[in-house]
Amino acid sequence: MTETMARPPLDKKVISRLTEIFGEDRVLTNNTDMITYSYDASFETQLNPRKPEVAVIALSTEEVSECVKLANEYKIPVYPRGAATGQTGGAVSTKGGIMMDLSKMNRILDIDHRNMQVMIEPGVIQNDLNEALKPYGLRFPPDPGSANMCTVGGMVSNNSSGLRAVKYGVTRHYVLGMEVVLPTGDVIVTGGAHSKALKSVSGYDLAHLMIGSEGTLGIVTRLRLKLLPLPVTRGIVLCSFKELEDAGAAVNAVFSSGLQPSAIEIMDFNCTKAVNMMKPELNLPIDNEAILVFEVDGAKEEVSSQVTRLKKVVEKYASYIKFSDEPEECEKLWQARKLVGAAVGLLKPGGFRVYGGEDICVPISRLPETLREIHNIADRYGIVCGIYGHVGDGNLHTGPVVNSNNEVEMENVQKMIDDIHDLAIKMEGTTTAEHGVGIVRAKYMDVEHGPAMDIMRAIKKTLDPNNILNPGKMALPN
Amino acid sequence: MKLLTPEQSMYTCVRCGACRGVCPTLNITGREADGPRGRVLMARALLEGTISVNQEIKDQLDRCLLCSACVDACPMDVQVPDIVMVAKEQIAAAVEMDSFHEKSVKLDTNQVDIKKQAKSVRNVKEFLFDKVLADQKNLNKVGNLLWMYQKSGLQKVTRAIGIMKFFPEQMQQMERIMPDILPPSKRKHHPEFTPRANEKRDSRGRVAFFQGCLMDMMFRETNDNSIKLLSKTGFDVVTPKSQVCCGALHHHSGKTDKSIELAKANIIAFEEAKVDYIITNAGGCGAALVEYEEFFRDDPVWLERAKGFSSKIRDISEIVHEKGEMPATVGRGERVTYQPSCHLQYVMKVKDAPAKLVKTVPNVEYVELPDKKYCCGSAGIYNMLQPELANEILDKKMEKVKETDSAVLITANPGCYLQMKLGVHKEGMEKVIETKHVVDYLVESIDRAESKSPS
Repeated sequence: MTETMARPPLDKKVISRLTEIFGEDRVLTNNTDMITYSYDASFETQLNPRKPEVAVIALSTEEVSECVKLANEYKIPVYPRGAATGQTGGAVSTKGGIMMDLSKMNRILDIDHRNMQVMIEPGVIQNDLNEALKPYGLRFPPDPGSANMCTVGGMVSNNSSGLRAVKYGVTRHYVLGMEVVLPTGDVIVTGGAHSKALKSVSGYDLAHLMIGSEGTLGIVTRLRLKLLPLPVTRGIVLCSFKELEDAGAAVNAVFSSGLQPSAIEIMDFNCTKAVNMMKPELNLPIDNEAILVFEVDGAKEEVSSQVTRLKKVVEKYASYIKFSDEPEECEKLWQARKLVGAAVGLLKPGGFRVYGGEDICVPISRLPETLREIHNIADRYGIVCGIYGHVGDGNLHTGPVVNSNNEVEMENVQKMIDDIHDLAIKMEGTTTAEHGVGIVRAKYMDVEHGPAMDIMRAIKKTLDPNNILNPGKMALPN
Repeated sequence: MKLLTPEQSMYTCVRCGACRGVCPTLNITGREADGPRGRVLMARALLEGTISVNQEIKDQLDRCLLCSACVDACPMDVQVPDIVMVAKEQIAAAVEMDSFHEKSVKLDTNQVDIKKQAKSVRNVKEFLFDKVLADQKNLNKVGNLLWMYQKSGLQKVTRAIGIMKFFPEQMQQMERIMPDILPPSKRKHHPEFTPRANEKRDSRGRVAFFQGCLMDMMFRETNDNSIKLLSKTGFDVVTPKSQVCCGALHHHSGKTDKSIELAKANIIAFEEAKVDYIITNAGGCGAALVEYEEFFRDDPVWLERAKGFSSKIRDISEIVHEKGEMPATVGRGERVTYQPSCHLQYVMKVKDAPAKLVKTVPNVEYVELPDKKYCCGSAGIYNMLQPELANEILDKKMEKVKETDSAVLITANPGCYLQMKLGVHKEGMEKVIETKHVVDYLVESIDRAESKSPS
């Protein structure tokens, strides 16, 4: 376990003050508790877990504010944490300090369905929110793969998104306002303190400065989110292509035909193989370079006609097509895509799938060449990987599979990850499109942003002069 | 059989957090160490030797209900309860070693820093597991004593003089909701063969009934009804005399040798019965029986026999729903809800057969219990060992039960049954809501229909 203690250990007074704020049961100092709080879902924390000195479980804005005030007074770092499903080390400590667990702040405060919005606490799980909205025929559209377990607070802090971003955009597009505890402990509400408006151009858009700031500028304690109606039904077209370039051409053709799919997913040959291993009955065609899965949604008649049109457009390029607008059959076709994340691990017996370089995004036009280049990199290091992702916006997930007891492989995979990030920038893309920067992508930030990075550091310094909120992340000072 | 050993499985956890939403203890405290992901990390630290055996880790791991909801939710099938058990076994072994050396050699006290269980508690536990549960004759004697206690007026006396006040609250409550034990005359061995009720129809299969140890003593009527239900739905039922306790409780407290001995005895008993299926009416036992093969990973001969045995295990609701033919039933116009057994829904993967059967009964309104995914907190003797947490889990569960406004609360496992009865008792709702094993509920519905029909 890495002890990254660049500062003196916590004053005993701090623990007793924390106990006054949270009560005894919600201030944790046991070694076992610290072990469990030293990880998120990242490969980085698997290699280098980082213990905080104390963890608190917050239940209210007041508690969060009091705790941050205390931390600011003693200059102790505070690390906000939701469900810690992140892949970047964003929700772990970098130098001891206070781990603030916000997952119990999980109340849905007001479903204002007539105004198409909802007020929630940050610890609400994305799927739980959508379950609660269902009876009103509404939903909160951003849909990361971790929707089952990630908190909305975490989604906002990382501006996350998922495979339907191609039609519905990212978390940013659904945040109307938020209550934030600033690094001083002061509480503000962005987007109008009492506003219920669905749009506003009044003042600097502070919410949008906070979104994606990964808890470095403030801790979100309430969220006002915009909602959309639930789509009635969906249709799926699954097709397979001899060559990657055919798949690219098919995507272009679909866009220029005026169709707007709600998702366009790609799986390379290795992913196809892995899914077949996990669910042989799916029997996906394996002699091709890529599979695309298109999803369209809307009203029933609309979907049927879109599926027919889509099929016609891709026919020219594809060597194999299956499609449906029946819910059950759609679910079956969709399985291929749904299983891929877990299936990739099967590519190597006894191996595990590494999340690293898993999140790059390149221009759609450069997708085929990027995919080929990633496989070249992997071959160079002798590592098996499957690549899948959201073609509609150029977002690619690379899943290298390694044996944790093979030291050479463990070293090589880290070099491979660096190369993939470099490749993303070379292809006029970005190193992260969904998962965030955290610890793991900090080293690419200066190259990616140039002088803009200085402005980010200046903003951080202005809002958090003592550098207490989630320090050492996003290439900001530790 | 499970693909990986618990140790291997531990390393497949990618900490994605998919287990967080289904864990009953995490739902209460929100503390990472009270969730499956935290437990795997703690167990790993212990097994890898990053942390030493001490009271803190023991206490923390003891808070796990071992309900398996996390395994069901895990995309990688990480076997969290097995991993926790391996860690607990390591702790138990370290303590044992420590006390073994106590007299002669002074061990490094940092190595094992654990409060020893009071000797009396240890002795009672040993006696209970080795001499009572594992031995049908002794179990029967205990049953007789309990029956005497209830019938002799002693129960009334103890209640009147309030002696139970000196026991922990959980025990006091438990004493009150104990089912009535049938007199010895009604607890004779089940008939070894019970043919299908309607022999004019084709048999739906030859099955063996697994009676369980405590189940057969405390819930004798439910066992009688189980044989009756199987027979009424078209099965020929064998109830082998030589069967023994499933060994689940032994296994859960780390007594693997005894569990293996019991497993072998059961495998032999049921091989002799020559049946298509082996039926349980207790999710906890069923889950232990389907995992017998895990005991024999290194024993090719017994592994084959265990595989044969485990592949035949079916829950009674499952077999009746899938292969049986329900006779006419009728309800009383009541509203009914169902709290699943964790071992049934997560280990045996029988998700809703009990509910499906109840839904077939005419003149009954079935409502879904919100948050039924969460364990009720019974979990073997968990409510004795972790009274505080168990109470909170139970209170939350009863809130949801109240929301359904049901007149009957169906369960599918004796532990759940007792826990739900305890909850109903604590809430003072005994007059409003009745707790029932699904088998008893179905048999009553059949009897009701029979007594109403003109023939």
